[in-house]
This record gives sequence, structure tokens and C-alpha cells, in this order.
Amino acid sequence: MAGKILVVDDEAPVREMINDLLKKENYQVCSVATGEEALESVNKEDFEAVLLDVKLTGMSGLETLKRIKEKRPDTIVIMITGFGYDEELVTKSNELGCSGYIGKNAAISQIISCFKEFIKAAKEKIK
Amino acid sequence: MEINSQAALTLNQKIIDEANVIMLYLDPQGIISMCNKKIEELIDKKKKELFGKHWLDILCHDSNIAAKQQMFKAVLDNSITYKRANIFEGSIVDFNKKEHIISWNITPMLNETEGLAGILLLGNDVTLLKEREASLKKIDETLMNILSSIKEYALYVINLKGNITYYEMGFEAMFGWKKSEIIFKDVGLLHTKDDTENKLPFALEQVKENGHYQLKLSLVKKDGRVFPVILSVNQFLDSDGNLIGYIFIAKDITEEEKLEYQVFQSEKMAAVGSLAAGLAHEINNPLFVVSGRLEMLLGNKKLNKHLKDSLKIIDGQADRIRTLVDRFLSFTRKTSPNLKNLDVNKIIKNVLPLLLYHKLPSHKIRIARDFAKRLPLIKGDAHQLQEVFINMFINACQEMPKGGTLKIKTDIVENKFVRISINDTGRGIAPENLKNLFMPFFSTKSEGTGLGLSICYNIIKSHDGTIEVESQLGEGTTFIVKLPFAKKGA
Repeated sequence: MAGKILVVDDEAPVREMINDLLKKENYQVCSVATGEEALESVNKEDFEAVLLDVKLTGMSGLETLKRIKEKRPDTIVIMITGFGYDEELVTKSNELGCSGYIGKNAAISQIISCFKEFIKAAKEKIK
Repeated sequence: MEINSQAALTLNQKIIDEANVIMLYLDPQGIISMCNKKIEELIDKKKKELFGKHWLDILCHDSNIAAKQQMFKAVLDNSITYKRANIFEGSIVDFNKKEHIISWNITPMLNETEGLAGILLLGNDVTLLKEREASLKKIDETLMNILSSIKEYALYVINLKGNITYYEMGFEAMFGWKKSEIIFKDVGLLHTKDDTENKLPFALEQVKENGHYQLKLSLVKKDGRVFPVILSVNQFLDSDGNLIGYIFIAKDITEEEKLEYQVFQSEKMAAVGSLAAGLAHEINNPLFVVSGRLEMLLGNKKLNKHLKDSLKIIDGQADRIRTLVDRFLSFTRKTSPNLKNLDVNKIIKNVLPLLLYHKLPSHKIRIARDFAKRLPLIKGDAHQLQEVFINMFINACQEMPKGGTLKIKTDIVENKFVRISINDTGRGIAPENLKNLFMPFFSTKSEGTGLGLSICYNIIKSHDGTIEVESQLGEGTTFIVKLPFAKKGA
């Protein structure tokens, strides 16, 4: 069994779909709808990675990333967005310590393989 | 009685001497037999010294005295023949060696038998008058020079019948007409038919009532090209204040309009860009769910063939939407170009072979290259610029389904831009479509997404360049891209 992933997305169908996809890849999944809930979860337990949507209702994805990294700097956070590749967003996310950036416009198989690659690279970096 | 007549003579002499005019009386041969005192004020000679001398020898300062004599004779003969006074101009040098211009009034005095008895010369010193005239002429010339050097404006005057009676400033450069071709012609030649019938009569009515009127309209060059101007119209009055015509001053605002259009276009594109980004995001999220669910369903090995085929069709269509959104996002993308010093000629040369890979009637299209040698380098992203040029070349070729010439020219403008002109001999673009050409999803073709030119526009803009289009229906289209030179040492 692979590790536990925290999925943060404010749209229920998206959350559920990611849950199913990751479960199919043998991950354990916990999902929340807001940045505030994500911070709470990260404080309570350890996750192998957080898959965090950029555009959230309430606290923004970037703000959530910043706060997670402040409290748990070792947490692997991967950003996901419907905006596609946006240089400004990518630069900002990297500055705040995210380990990868995925566009929802990519093919599903590509999204999963990128996700796995990012986790692998981030783990090696921590070692 | 004797005393009285003596007194009268003395008075006469006094009047003659005091008159503010040089008076000479000559015999028929031109010898001075009488003169007044006025001459003494001018030259350093007493009256008596002048008697018996030929007047031209003493009172005419001219290098070619023989010619002057001939001229004087001709004037005199004319006066005798027509029995009238004539004017002759000469000059006298005073005792300070200053030259005075004298206007001589020549009156022949005839005897009873109509023969010449003598010649009366009345001379007026017109030096000051001439100097003033010359300085006025100089002012006039300077004014004319100033007026004719103002090339951005054209001034023209019409009479009440609407005929052009005068023009100045940049008129010839602006319209292309020569004086002999346009003077006394109808002012309608300079205006569009519609303006001649509507805007112009209205403007003239306003000027009649209020003295002045300003409007924005289009004028017509000799070659038929129409250009925008700000036209200022004023009353033209005679010295009694009667209206005798109208004065027009036109300012060509082609460049201002271009700039205004670019600003408008740029603001419009920014608005469309943020709308597009938001819309793409809203489509991507549900599409992500649709595609994900489909992929999971398609992975189910128990699925019957009919259902699987249907799902594949849905997946294919979802892919189509994704491609469209991707393209849309690339229009709004905030990717800064990967800037390197580039040779535009080289980029175009690399792109041209790619044309063959597209379904174009290439065999019917001739490609004419006119590349400037030693073109300065520009700072740009090679991939992005290649995308721009291939897009524009394909567009140009598609405009010529029956074949034609694709002309690609590079040169330098304003000493700071490399200009790339891409000209086709195709159908041309209707004026109403020109203004929307760079808008996303705007297309005059049945194929394509209508995003190509809007992407080109954004790429060129991110290179600090400009992209413009000129087109005439039935004659073809020219796209003009300008890219700034790379800074030295950058």
C-alpha cells in the first residue's frame, strides 16, 4: 500500500474523482474542501503528500501552501489547477516550496505519472 | 506792377526751392537748365554747378549708364507720343555715399508746334518706401516658408462656389495634387462623395453662423486613398467683412488613429484574456472529472463492445474540448518569451520549408523573398516567433486558393525596428472585418479556431513589437510586424 494523500479541492466531483483515481493507484486518500480544513488535517496527522488546488473558496491555494510549509516544512505539496500552465503561478508556487505543479488539462494518465514523479523527486531531495 | 511781378517770381522760386520734391528742368538733350534746392540737400553740389551738365551724368548712379540712357529715352518717347507723364526709377548717391532710390516723374514740355521744348523731372526719394517694401517682402517670404514647412497640416481656401482658390502648407504632400491640376477645381475632389453631400454642407452652414467649425472626417488623395483628418473650417472675409469663401485647415491623423487603435486593441485583448483564463478554468474542472471518469470506465474489462465504443466517442469529443481549451489558454498564457539575440531572416528561412507540410495549394503559390542584408539582431523567442510566422504564412496562402504570390520582405524602419511585411495577392479583407482580426475566435474561414492571429498578436506584444494589417478587397493583404533591435551588449 502506498502512502496517505490529502486532496484539497472545493469542487466535490473533482475531489471524488481524484479520490477514486488515487485509490486505484493504491493510495489512501483523505479529502477536504478548504484551505482551513487542510491546515487542520496537516496539523493532526502525517501525509505522504498534499494535492492542493490553486483556486479554492476562502483561503487561496497559495496561502494554504505557504501556511502548510510554515508549520510542516517537510510536507510534500503538489499544486493542481484548471488554469493550465501559468508561469506566474508556477514561479510563486515554487517560491513557496511546492514540489510540483499539475494542470488539470493534461491527460489523466499523464497527471497520475507526474504526481508519482513529483513525490519521488521530493522524497529524494529530503533525503 | 513791376515790383509785384518780381515779388511773384521770388515767391515762385521760393515755393519751388522749398517743395519736398527734387525738381529739374532739362533741355531736349537732357542738359540741366534749372533745378530746385532740394538737390543740394542730397548731393554735395550747388545748384549752379549742375547747370549745363547732362542730368544722367550727375544724378544717376548706375554702373551701366548707356542702358539707363536708352531706358530714359524710351520712357521719354512714350511720354511724348501719348502726351502723359511717366515714371522712371534711378538712384542718387549722397555726400555720405549712401544710395537713394529716386522715382522720377517725367513730363515732356512741348512747344506750339508739338516739338519737345524741355523735360520736367520731379523726383521723389522712395528709399525708405523701398526698404519697407523689401522688408515686407521678406516677412512675406518668411511666412510663406514657415507655412510651407508645416507638412502635417494642409491649408486650402475655397470661394462661395466651392472652387479651390488657394492652398498652402503640406497640401501637395498630403493630397498629391499639383497647383495646375487643382486650382479652381471643385473642393469635392478632396472629399468623399458622402461627405461632399452631407458633412461638408452642414459644416459650411455652421461656419456661416458661428464663424468656425471643427469636425473629424476622411479626405481623399489624388490616387483615391482615403485618410482621416481633423478639419478646421473658418470664414474667409474681404476687407469689408463680407463672406467670400472658406478657409480649411486639415490635420492628417492617420498615425494618431493607428496608435489609438493599438491602445484600444491592447485593452480589449487584456479584457478578453482575463475572461478567457476564467472561462478555461471553469471548463477544465468539469472536463477533468469527465475525462477521469471516462478513463476509469474504459479500464473496466467487463464493458460490452457497444458501450465501450460509445464511451470512446465521448472521450474523443472530450479530448476535442480539451485541445480547444488548451489553445485558448495558450492565447492567455503568461509565459515570458525565452529571449535570445536572433536573426529574423534566419527564422523565416527555417519556417518556410514547414509550409510544405500543410495542406496548401503550394504549387500554385510563388514565394517571393526580399530580405534586407545585414539585418540587425532582435531579441526574441525563436519558437514563439516561428509560431507567429508559420501562422501568418499559412493564413496568407489560404487567402489565395487559386494561387498567387506570397511576398515576404524584411527591412529596417525608424532605425530601431526590424520590419517584416507579409503580403498576399489574395481576396483581401473587408474593412468591417479588419478591426476584429486579432480578436480570439474571430475567423473569416470555415476551418480553424480563430485563435491563430490573436496568439500572434500576444506573442509580438510580449516582444515589445507591433503587428498591423493593411488590406484592400480583391487586391490582397499585408501584415506588418515590427520587432525592436536587440540592445547592444544585451
